[in-house]
Amino acid sequence: MSGPIFSALFDVLQYQNIFAVMFGVIFGLFIGSTPGLTISLGMVLLLPLTFKMPAVTAVCLLLGLYASGMTGGSISAILLNIPGTPSASATAIDGYAMTQKGKAGPALGTAVVSSFFGGIFGLVCLSLASPLIAKVALRFGAPELFALVLMGLTLICSFGQASIIKALISGVLGLIIMTAGLDPMMGTPRFTFGSVDLQAGISFLPAMIGLFAIPQIILGLSNKIRVIPAYGSRIERILPRFRDLVKLLKTMLIGAGIGTGIGAIPGAGGPIAVFLSYDYARKTSRNSREFGSGTLEGVAAPESANNAVAGGALIPMLTLGIPGDPITAILLGALIIQGLIPGPMLFIQSAQFVYSVFWAFLLANLMNLCLTLSTIRLWVGVLKVPQRILLPIILTLCVVGTFALRNTFFDTGVMLCFGLLAYAMKKYGFPVVPMLLAIILGPQLEEHLRMSLIIAQGDPMIFVKHPISLVFILIAVGSFVSPLIRRRKKVSVDDDECRIDTPR
Amino acid sequence: MRVVNIILGLTLILFGGFYSYLTLHLPDRNLPNTLGSAFMPWVLVTCLYILSALLLLQTIYRGSAESCDYVISKKEGSSILFLVVLVIVYIKAMAYFGFLLVTPIFLIILMLSIGARKWKEVLLTSTLVTFGIYLFFQKVFQIILPAGKFF
Repeated sequence: MSGPIFSALFDVLQYQNIFAVMFGVIFGLFIGSTPGLTISLGMVLLLPLTFKMPAVTAVCLLLGLYASGMTGGSISAILLNIPGTPSASATAIDGYAMTQKGKAGPALGTAVVSSFFGGIFGLVCLSLASPLIAKVALRFGAPELFALVLMGLTLICSFGQASIIKALISGVLGLIIMTAGLDPMMGTPRFTFGSVDLQAGISFLPAMIGLFAIPQIILGLSNKIRVIPAYGSRIERILPRFRDLVKLLKTMLIGAGIGTGIGAIPGAGGPIAVFLSYDYARKTSRNSREFGSGTLEGVAAPESANNAVAGGALIPMLTLGIPGDPITAILLGALIIQGLIPGPMLFIQSAQFVYSVFWAFLLANLMNLCLTLSTIRLWVGVLKVPQRILLPIILTLCVVGTFALRNTFFDTGVMLCFGLLAYAMKKYGFPVVPMLLAIILGPQLEEHLRMSLIIAQGDPMIFVKHPISLVFILIAVGSFVSPLIRRRKKVSVDDDECRIDTPR
Repeated sequence: MRVVNIILGLTLILFGGFYSYLTLHLPDRNLPNTLGSAFMPWVLVTCLYILSALLLLQTIYRGSAESCDYVISKKEGSSILFLVVLVIVYIKAMAYFGFLLVTPIFLIILMLSIGARKWKEVLLTSTLVTFGIYLFFQKVFQIILPAGKFF
């Protein structure tokens, strides 16, 4: 048993494999932190390089990119409020708030350490509990996935501190926007107004870039505030203190657990995991009121979740040969090109290779931790660039990045429209995060709902008959109702003290 | 904020009406005994009507505790207009003259409008950033940037 494990470790520690991981990590950091460039795109670009490599080196290269791409997305989210990847969007909420307070260093440090924790947690689950998790994950059909997405959507209520109704309206508007394009079941064109571009639907990446970046640029142009926080010449400590890490342990465990679990479910996706972990960490935290205003817990939860998703997503891919998302699909393709067929037989026929994947994933996470921590001061240096230079560069990157997605300026137009919408929404008290959540989850919601009803021949009881979906629906109802009850209690207490909302 | 919320509620109901009209005219193509493509839009627009009505009722009967600076100042309005026009012109010009030629001009205009005054800094930044993005996207990532119709 230990023979193949140590042989695999020896394989992974060959200099060319260490170099491959390092190259993958550096490439992933750039890909992840650049708006518009996705990890899948990075994988596709690196794939041809792997054709003539040994299988272990190829895996080292791609896993290095996978691990660091997630962290890279958080760098731009924390420093500039522009999430590089959809999985980093929850990190932007507290990460950017910390940057505004002059704490970009600790925010990035916590993000990197939490990412490492999440990655290692995912790896432990991958190596110890793969068969069990894969068995449970395979029980997820359309009704379970619908209930899971619905549960993710109920988090909208949590973002309605000022007005729950406005948060819900924001979410519904996001869902309405996402109905444009081809109907996911029958391919019927809906709300396309004859536009060929609209038939492909609205991609969430331009929407996300627009929602976060454009309002800042408008504010910068109108000289109202310094939108990119200035940074002094001295950068304070980066690594979180040991006592802070101990305090964050529970939060990181929540994020990593949720991330691994959701990552293992084919088709669920990282954004649900990060928002669920953010919300759950907030609900279980003693400092729940500080969430949103720049707290380390608000960074640690989604960061540990998004890197744990990677470990989780590898479980069905390696054990069953089922890719859960585009990234693992490309990884699967890379393995097939190498003559390895993932699935139950892989563990029997190529056990040493499977252990090599585990070691490579560990090395990728370690390398990601070391390289990112050692370059944080360089990344934070971005904030030293004057706003008059930084804002035009950000806007140019947003335009080029959205163009690069599908080589069409339609996506750039989408980004601009969402940016203007986000600016108006902020002006009139509508939170934008619920809209982002709806844009990411909307297409899945409709697809799984309609698929479930086709399976059940129109009987909605299918969601109650399946135990897993019933549990998710009950949690969704609880998650929807609890903020309303909490709010009602708060209002009645406030009413006793003074009337807070006098009609004008 | 009270009046603003009432106007917002009414605007959302009007938008709901427009969306309902479009949904009503969606092509009906679906399998027997299954939900059609209009099912989800109807669910969503119903939610929108209910929420808009709730916003209106809440504002009328309870007022609004929110404090938002909802007025768009003249300076903000002109900034928004400037940004929209600039990005549209940039996109259109890029299609004709290409990324390499148009981007430095776009960057120079933006930097000057944000407050850059040192010409050396402006020219150097716009040139370096343009070539940096070109190398990064086109040469490293093999993403074809617009070359323009005239070149």
